[in-house]
Amino acid sequence: MYDNVIDRSKDITILELLDRVLNKGVILTGDIVISVADVDLVYLGLKLMLSSVETMEQLKAGKMITEK
Amino acid sequence: MNRELIYAYCVSASMSEPGGRPEFEGLQVVSSGGFYAVVKNVQECDFSEENLKKKLSDLAWLDLNVRSHVTIISMLMEDHTVIPFNFGTIYRSEESLKKFMGEYSNAIVQNLLLVEWKEEWAVKLYCNQDVMKAQIDNLSHEAAELEYQIMASSPGKAFLLTRKKADLIDLEIDRLSKSYGQEFFNEFNALSASAKLINIIPKEFSGRNDKMILNAAFLLPKDKTIEFVSLLGRLQKKYAGIGFELEGTGPWPPFSFVSIKENQ
Repeated sequence: MYDNVIDRSKDITILELLDRVLNKGVILTGDIVISVADVDLVYLGLKLMLSSVETMEQLKAGKMITEK
Repeated sequence: MNRELIYAYCVSASMSEPGGRPEFEGLQVVSSGGFYAVVKNVQECDFSEENLKKKLSDLAWLDLNVRSHVTIISMLMEDHTVIPFNFGTIYRSEESLKKFMGEYSNAIVQNLLLVEWKEEWAVKLYCNQDVMKAQIDNLSHEAAELEYQIMASSPGKAFLLTRKKADLIDLEIDRLSKSYGQEFFNEFNALSASAKLINIIPKEFSGRNDKMILNAAFLLPKDKTIEFVSLLGRLQKKYAGIGFELEGTGPWPPFSFVSIKENQ
């Protein structure tokens, strides 16, 4: 029933997980909590990672190799 | 000195001592006033205010810990109604956690009632504009009409009309995205107890080439799961050909629907 439709936990991306656990900024109290500014840092880190993955892929594909 | 801190997963009105699964190792229950918080002792070197901030930029650490946070709460949810804490909610002592359960008892009860017998499901809708553009004459009466005029025009006029059509296509894709997005949302919402719109994730974070046009969370009664999943499957199949990709995940702890705000 669930096959093909629902991505079960091991296929869940970190982006999806973060979207669930960090996107809110409404909950909860605690002596230490992750602030909205911290969440921005997380996404910035993710962006850097994604762009470096892209760079790697481009390098692999030879798109960025010009001359030596 | 490396002090221990208390990492909180969830709070509930009923809880047995978690055990019998490798994921539950090290978990403890702190109870107060009829509430039970599932916690784990963690080291200050990972979770003090300062160190947590540093760790957040370590994606491997973040991935491992966020995944474990969600997994543990999801497993506890199999047997209990729980209010999930945000990832990285830390108490300095048991007393402090008990104080929270005492001071916020009304809010905890209200939130437990809200999420009882329900789960969160997430739906993201992406639009591949290239695919939609290729189908635009089938999807938009105005675009088809303009195409007809282009075919029947002299080369000069056809050139001008083609430019006009390019502008129209952008507007029509926007209109179609909104109207289909709303329709899909309404269908999922009809099965749900509650729904929340979540911020759209821009392309630079998603790493995808198509555009996210809807990011929504639904609080779904457990007996609606099968209907929800089959609706998702049906919409996925029906609209893939015109460039829509629906991504559904769940069941999740009801992160998007619980709300216990700090007393001001």
